[in-house]
Formats: sequence, structure tokens, C-alpha cells
Amino acid sequence: MGARGTAPEPRSTTRGIGISCRSVDSGYLERTVLHDVSFQIDEPAIYVVLGPNGAGKTTLFRTLAGILRPSRGEVYVGEESIDRQTSRDRMHYLSHVDGIPDGLRVRDALEFYAAVEKASIGDVDRVMDLLGIRELGGKYFSQLSAGQKKRVSIARVFLREREIYLLDEPTTSLDPKLAREIRTLILELSREKIVLYSSHNLFEAREIGRFVLVIKEGKLIRFDRIENLRGARYAVGVRTLSPADDLSGFTREGDYFVRELSGPEEVPDLIRDLEGRGVKIREVREMDNPLEDLFT
Amino acid sequence: MAVPSPTKAPPTLLWTTFRRSLGLGRLFIVVGLLYVVVLAVAESLTAPASFASSFPIFLPIFTVLGSMGSLMVFSNDRTKGVFEYLLAYGLLPQQLFLNVLLVSLMLESLVLGLMLGLGLGIFVATGNTISWVLVAGLSIYSVPMSYASTAFAAMVGVFWTSLSTPRSGLNSPIGLVPFIGIGPSVLTLGLVAVLAIDGFTDIYLVIGAAVGVIAALVLLFLGLLNRLMPRERLLSPI
Repeated sequence: MGARGTAPEPRSTTRGIGISCRSVDSGYLERTVLHDVSFQIDEPAIYVVLGPNGAGKTTLFRTLAGILRPSRGEVYVGEESIDRQTSRDRMHYLSHVDGIPDGLRVRDALEFYAAVEKASIGDVDRVMDLLGIRELGGKYFSQLSAGQKKRVSIARVFLREREIYLLDEPTTSLDPKLAREIRTLILELSREKIVLYSSHNLFEAREIGRFVLVIKEGKLIRFDRIENLRGARYAVGVRTLSPADDLSGFTREGDYFVRELSGPEEVPDLIRDLEGRGVKIREVREMDNPLEDLFT
Repeated sequence: MAVPSPTKAPPTLLWTTFRRSLGLGRLFIVVGLLYVVVLAVAESLTAPASFASSFPIFLPIFTVLGSMGSLMVFSNDRTKGVFEYLLAYGLLPQQLFLNVLLVSLMLESLVLGLMLGLGLGIFVATGNTISWVLVAGLSIYSVPMSYASTAFAAMVGVFWTSLSTPRSGLNSPIGLVPFIGIGPSVLTLGLVAVLAIDGFTDIYLVIGAAVGVIAALVLLFLGLLNRLMPRERLLSPI
């Protein structure tokens, strides 16, 4: 699929308020970052926006959220322009920056956003429990670790229910366990809501996404079902100190013993397994990375 | 392009911003109050006669310093990406700029009240009486000039902060704006002095005109901000 498209084969039974981008050019002052981006999303699911750093993911999210005004084209929520307050009220935006006001304790910061969102104090308590940050409530935001800051930042998303969620790299700076917990929460959310989720990690996209939008140099180059990317191969090559080794479960490509994995997160386990088998490893390298194929 | 519908407008955040400005700017308030204490104690004990002229002259300078909290909130919110969220919720840049002006004036009222109470309290407590000259100086010059200077400093600070890349310390707009806020007072006093040399002694008229010009400049700055400042200037770097 090219730069224009709708989510492939949407399920008509789950259609609700959708979001669409119509021939949008957008950027900063005189610099256009997004070029002629068009798509329509109606089906509740996670749509992973993939792209290398600098591709225009954050600019796309800022434009969809109504923060940046397109220099050409329009963004619609349902049939209404994003500039209408009713459209804003249907959407939640999580920036790649924390956006927590300075000089506030965690609880005060969440109450600040509750005031912005017209949510209640009860909602603040609920999200603090949901994200496991109740014990951080009395601490200043500046005293928290990067992971704790991210959790507080994400807590805002759950203050009030919306129909569309724009989450710009929500799991950056999180340890793998917490990242998984957050992804689980977002997966839960996506059963009835549209979630646009930006990442530069294809393997994360494959874990949670149902659709993928690939952005490259400000253009939407692919909008597809995630399973159409799943056929792509991720393989690592292992070179041993003794070239005469014969490793079961690997194929031989020159000096390397090659094994296909579901993603780079399996590499540490593979190394542990080989070390357990007494293999002396000289080098481990990626032989094929579908992410690179996608972006180049 | 259509503007956001006012049917379900987001909150103005005026009171919340005021409370945050008090918290972030408390050091400026304390320093401003300390200056008042030093001036009041020194003059009350050594030269009470000159207090009637020096206190009204210095008061606007101290209150500008004490009202820096709202500009600190603006600068911090821009750097920390808070505006990104507020814009996404539907707040308009114009509301953010107007918030800074209004919160600055709210802070100014509080700081001015505290400084007047403290300065006059010390003066009276050290056995002096409040003269009509002192009352006239405070009501004709200090109070209007304090509000005008604070509003002027706030708008210049917003303009400057929006146009500059985030910096900290004395080299930042927040470090320098208090000096700019002093400008209107110093220029007005200079004008009064120069005109007095030329034989024009209607001080009330000069001060009134100066306050009017400063207020017009504040409105001009606000108008320029609303019309010309692109929302991209309010976003944190990617």
C-alpha cells in the first residue's frame, strides 16, 4: 500500500469515531516535515507508527493532536476538524517528553492534569493505583528516576476515557518488565479504542500492533497489517573460537552459525544457551534485520 | 481554518498557575521582601525624612522582582513540554499569554500588599508617622507604576522566552527581565527630573502619561504575541 490508505479490511462491526489525515503537509515554521500524508483509521486497534529517528513520527502525532497546524490538508476526527474542541475532547495525546510541570509533587502534577482534563480526585487515586505510583505521590517529579517519570507521565493517559489515543514512544526509558506492563495496559485499551503508538522498534510493533504505518522522510510509505511484516526474517550469526564447531539448530553461512529469532530480545537467551553448552563465542552479529529493510 | 469550538472550552488554569507561580517564584518574593526590610529599617532608623521619597521610588522595582514567578512558570512549562499538552487539550496560545499577564498582576497585587504592609509597618513601629507626602507618593507613583512595570516585564519576558532557545541562569530571559522591568520606573523618574529642570513640575501628568504609554506597550506586545507568535515556538525540542 502506498502513501494513501485506510486500514486494510476494517471490521465494520467495531467502527466508531475514526481519525483521518487528508493530504497533510505539516512542520515547523518554514520547514515542512510531513509531505502529503493521507490515511483513514476507523477500527479499534493498535496502529504502530514506525520510522527511524527524524522520520517525522513526532510531527505526525503533534499534527494529529492539533498542536501543529497543517500547512496543507486537514485532520479530522470523525467528520469534524481537529480544530474543534469536541474533536480534542475525543482524543488523548502522550508526548515523547514528560510534560510534567516543574516544582510540583507527583500527586499535585496529576491533579494539575486532572484539572485540565476535568477529571476528579478519585480519578487521580485510580490512576496512581493502576500505574503503581501511589508511594511516589509525595515526591517531587525531579527526584524520580527516568522510569518512574515515564510512569507518572503515562498515568495521565488513564485519567479520563477517550476514543482515540496518540501515544508517542510510551515505553521509552522503561525497563523491560514495566514496558511489558504498560504494553499490556495499552493492549487492553485498544480493544475498544483507536491507539496510535509510535516506536522505532519493529519488534515492539510486532508484539502489540495490529496495523503498521511506516514513516520515512516525512512520507507515509506503508500502511499495512502487522502480520504482513511478520514474515520478515531476524537472524543472528555466531562466530566461535573454534571454526570446526558444529552447532545444532544453526545453519552455516561462511564463518557464521546462523539462527532465526523472533527479535533481538531473544539474543541474551541465545548467548546464555550457547555458553551453557560450552561454546566459546568470538562474535555475535545481526545477519538480517527486517527493520533496516523496512527503512532503507 | 476553523477555530476550536467554544462549546466545551478547557479550563483557564488561572488559579492553578497562580499557585504554581507562588511556589516557583518564592525566592524572588523573599528577596524582594528582604530589600524592603533593609530599606525600611535603614531609613526609619537613620533618615526617616527621606523614607517618604525613597520608599515610593524603590517599591515598583522590588515588586517587579517579586512577580517573576509567573514568567518562571511560563518558561518552565515551555521547556518541559507542558504547553504541548495544553495545546493538545485545546488551549489556545493566546490564553497562555494572557494567563501570564493576569497571573503576573495577581502576584503583583499580593507582593505589593505584603511590601506595603512590611515597609510601612517597620516605619511606624520604629516611631515614625506616615505623612501625606508618603501616601501621595505611594498612591500616585508606586501603585500604578508597579502594575505597569510588572505587566511590561511579563510581556517582554514572554516574547523573549518564546523566541529564545532554552537557557538557564542569569543569561536567560528570567535572569534579565527583572532589569528590564526596572526600565519603565527609571525612565519615568528620569523624565520627571529632566522636565523639572526645564521648569515643568506637573509630576502627576508625567507619571500618568508614562503609565499610559507603558500600558499601551503591554497591550501592543500582547496583540503582537497573539497575532505573530507561531505555536511551534511553544513546543519543546524533539
